[in-house]
Amino acid sequence: MSAPAKKKRKLMFALGNEAVAEGALIAGCSFFAGYPITPSTEIMEIMAKRLPQTEDGVFLQMEDEIASMGACIGASLAGRKAMTATSGPGFSLMQEQIGYACMTETPLVLVNVMRGGASTGLPTNPGQGDVQQARWGAHGDHPIIVLSAGDVPECLTMTVTAFNFAEKYRTPVILLLDEVTAHTREKIEIPAPDEFQIFNRLVPSMPPEWYKPYEETVRGVPPMPPIGSGYRFHVTGLIHDKLGFPTSRPDEVKGLNERLFRKIDRFFHDIQLVDRYETEDCDHLVIAYGSVARSAKLAVRQARERGVKAGLLTLRTLFPFPRIHVEPLLRHCSKILVPELNMGQISREVKRVNNGRVQVRTINRVDGQIITPSQILKEIS
Amino acid sequence: MNLYQDVIIAGFGGQGVMLIGNLLAYAGMEQGLNVTYIPVYGPEMRGGTANCTVVVSSEEIGSPIIHRPKSCIVMNRPSLDKFGPRIEENGLLILNTSLVDLELAKGLPVKVVPIPVNEIADSLGNARLLNMVALGAYVNASGVMPLQAVQGALGHVISSHYKHLIPKNAEALQAGADYKP
Repeated sequence: MSAPAKKKRKLMFALGNEAVAEGALIAGCSFFAGYPITPSTEIMEIMAKRLPQTEDGVFLQMEDEIASMGACIGASLAGRKAMTATSGPGFSLMQEQIGYACMTETPLVLVNVMRGGASTGLPTNPGQGDVQQARWGAHGDHPIIVLSAGDVPECLTMTVTAFNFAEKYRTPVILLLDEVTAHTREKIEIPAPDEFQIFNRLVPSMPPEWYKPYEETVRGVPPMPPIGSGYRFHVTGLIHDKLGFPTSRPDEVKGLNERLFRKIDRFFHDIQLVDRYETEDCDHLVIAYGSVARSAKLAVRQARERGVKAGLLTLRTLFPFPRIHVEPLLRHCSKILVPELNMGQISREVKRVNNGRVQVRTINRVDGQIITPSQILKEIS
Repeated sequence: MNLYQDVIIAGFGGQGVMLIGNLLAYAGMEQGLNVTYIPVYGPEMRGGTANCTVVVSSEEIGSPIIHRPKSCIVMNRPSLDKFGPRIEENGLLILNTSLVDLELAKGLPVKVVPIPVNEIADSLGNARLLNMVALGAYVNASGVMPLQAVQGALGHVISSHYKHLIPKNAEALQAGADYKP
């Protein structure tokens, strides 16, 4: 992404949370509704300050997280790029409407800064305990995109990516950070807005009377007009037909459910993002995400210095699980290590893909502290 | 030349440990170095202990969290108990002897710079300058960057409302750097 004519980039000493807000504004976010909660509060604070300074930005502090999600869904249906940010307890409250956004194919971005522990847990310590909740928290079978970020520059780029995926695929996108990523301050260069490719949702080009809002299209994602633009459409969480009205006709039910999954499944190659480090010839593979990936990178570098053929696969996309990137590596690795700040939520995905082929070990740290490079190094050398 | 320094700054909430961590990181950034700063604090509103870790490096920074730091600024007794034994061998310990007995640090295999920061800050006319005094001592003892760089970065961490206090803070940094035990 290094622009040929390098424009003057803004240098910032920024928190992960600040980078998220910066990324959202670059992506064109013009609506934020939320309820403050540590360790995500700075995202909300910055959006509260910055959105009113933009041309049509709207910021709302809501009465709780349930209302926040509702407001974001409404804003998105009205044509805006909407975002909310929360942490553990708030994320639980948002689950029902994540399902609603999936069913109604409403694009939005939800940032969940993971803290340690269940319930109120450890508000000021990191954890990665919401990984499977992000995938399966909303009830009913539904597809969803879950992304992660591990350092400050990545917070910015992954937020832009989250908006792009939401708009491209008409789906809610969950971005998972952890407390360490969110509260680490680092030097970052803010890329110029034109260095990013920004996607906007497809709007219908046919006359309003021809428009069928939930019809299968060649591109797989139906176009979406903003409410009030002359196109009539009905929005419901019930299983609906092509016009958006409730149905229980088995063929229509099947059609909708399968289309919702197909919409994401056929773009796996675009959605499943990973970063490879020294994986070409590696024998001992580390699979990590979030702040842990950062520790893992240093550990792999140190292991290489000691002559161990170590490599790192950093998962930027957690769900749909990037199987297409993990599988080829299983051919030449003999050991896999999955360090994470939970009792084993991504390692179960790795084991599923691995299917018993190579040895999979885990480091599971749940004491509110981060996994250090030395802890990983000890396991791989 | 490769430069790498990490430091854990620890004390009570209210002593300004986060502020000097931020200041050091900003100064590092202005020197063209890579920096990370990570605060650690509890859920309590006041009275808790707080610490932050700053890494300054000419290379890419692997981990912002350091288990065995090369140096430590210790502002109170609980922090010495917690971080003292974790400092690398031959590392550097800046110890606030206004609140911590120097004897307690005698057994550690590190270079100790004892400095009564509360008293020095008092003598400068403002007890709240103690954090700057401690940072001055650290910058001088570690040689991580010129003191002027830190003084020059004060504007980043002191809000415009308190701009008139910048010279006094710069003076406190200098006093810490000049202190001879």
